[in-house]
Amino acid sequence: MKQASRNPFDLSGVIVWPILYASIAYYLLDAKHEPRLLLSASLGASVMLMWSLVVIASSGALEQQRWQGTLELVVAAPTPLTAVIGPICVAGALVGTYAIGATLAWGALLFDVPVKIERPVAFALAIPACALAVGMLGLIMASTFVLYRAAFHLGIAMQYPVWIVTGLLVPLSLLPSFVRPLSWLLAPTWGFRGLQEAALGGTPWPDMGMCLVLSAVYLVIGGSCLIAFEYVARARGSLRLT
Amino acid sequence: MNTLRVVFVGGLTSYRALFNWINPWIFIPHTLGYPIFEILFFAYLGRFAGVESDRFFLIGNAFLAIAVTGMFGMGHATAGERRSQTLATLLASPANRFAVFLGRALPSIITGFFVATVSFAICAAILGVHVSLASLPGLALATVAAAFACTALGLCLGAVGLRGRNVSVFADVITACMLVVSGANVPLHLLPGWLQTIASGVPLTHGIQAARAIANGASIAASADLLAKEVAIGGIYLAVGLFMLRLFEFEGRRTGSLERF
Repeated sequence: MKQASRNPFDLSGVIVWPILYASIAYYLLDAKHEPRLLLSASLGASVMLMWSLVVIASSGALEQQRWQGTLELVVAAPTPLTAVIGPICVAGALVGTYAIGATLAWGALLFDVPVKIERPVAFALAIPACALAVGMLGLIMASTFVLYRAAFHLGIAMQYPVWIVTGLLVPLSLLPSFVRPLSWLLAPTWGFRGLQEAALGGTPWPDMGMCLVLSAVYLVIGGSCLIAFEYVARARGSLRLT
Repeated sequence: MNTLRVVFVGGLTSYRALFNWINPWIFIPHTLGYPIFEILFFAYLGRFAGVESDRFFLIGNAFLAIAVTGMFGMGHATAGERRSQTLATLLASPANRFAVFLGRALPSIITGFFVATVSFAICAAILGVHVSLASLPGLALATVAAAFACTALGLCLGAVGLRGRNVSVFADVITACMLVVSGANVPLHLLPGWLQTIASGVPLTHGIQAARAIANGASIAASADLLAKEVAIGGIYLAVGLFMLRLFEFEGRRTGSLERF
């Protein structure tokens, strides 16, 4: 993350995206005249960026390693690959927490969105829980990045499907019924609900609990996939391919 | 003959390299998957907000797919050369610069047209949007005009790539701004006045307006002024882009920055 933060061009993307998505939501949803809906949209846009940063940061970091010729060294090192890639994913999600502050401030300053967090302590706890779960979901994605050199393209393509399926801006009730069970398996659904419930005065604890459970499950799946895919990549000799 | 070879053979080779020679089985889903899900995302958001119709978001976001391919294709053309450390060699060659970059622009225009058309057709079927056959030639014309204008803006970004290290992110930011400014997702009348003024000077805005008018039954002649504006804007960006290429190439040579990465 330190490396990425050296380039102002890279940072500009992080700064602009959540504000733009939040703006679109404000312009469109303003027609409903529901301030709580706009606050919810701010949080949805924040989790959207969190997911984007996880897939882009992890796939981008691995692609960079490929181009620099250091991916083979990272894989050959005795440190488990999970311990190298996991923190990159979680760090991406933690940078995404900036989006929460940015979209709330943007909404309050320009669109008069009332920023009133009903349960501040729960909200403060929901943020790392969400970041951890989204980061761990990214670990599963990242395991494919070790195997495929085109994974960066796939990572980018995975943004909108997850945004739709997890109901970050559009309620799941509007989507086809088969989407709902899929949403239960994805961390952004629960992370967003945790933030939303804490901000609007609901009960965020079950959602935060689901974030922690899913984080553990993702860690096991992601770690296993990394071991398997690392073996395949070594056997094919594809780690050096750019 | 050599210029044609640079345009077509060089352009095709560069285009393949742009995507790291990836397998078409990955390239096609990636190129189409992004705009298809983008269209669906905004169409459902529009339904939820009760603002505008599915057709509004379908056309707006299909055109944004053109912006993505045009700007990334052109923007990354120079950034990719820099990353693979072939930029200095390319610029040291005696090849006509216009031919070199025209060769990179043509595949972007064709890809933009293809992606917009296919994602439009797929999402129209999913969302149940009906567009009359009579409006298809007009829509195709608007698509080509928008693809030209976006690629011309992409040329400007490509020129920035002669100086900046990571123009892809810059292209990403511009594309993100297009989501709002071009009127693809937010009706222009909802935007503040100063943003509407900016919107009138960027690619896509007039192309999208023309396409929406044509899809709603207007004739090509009735939308001719919008199409002409889109092409004119593209022409201006093309001229600016070519000037920037010349300027930044000179600056890059002078400061020895072409191989910095």
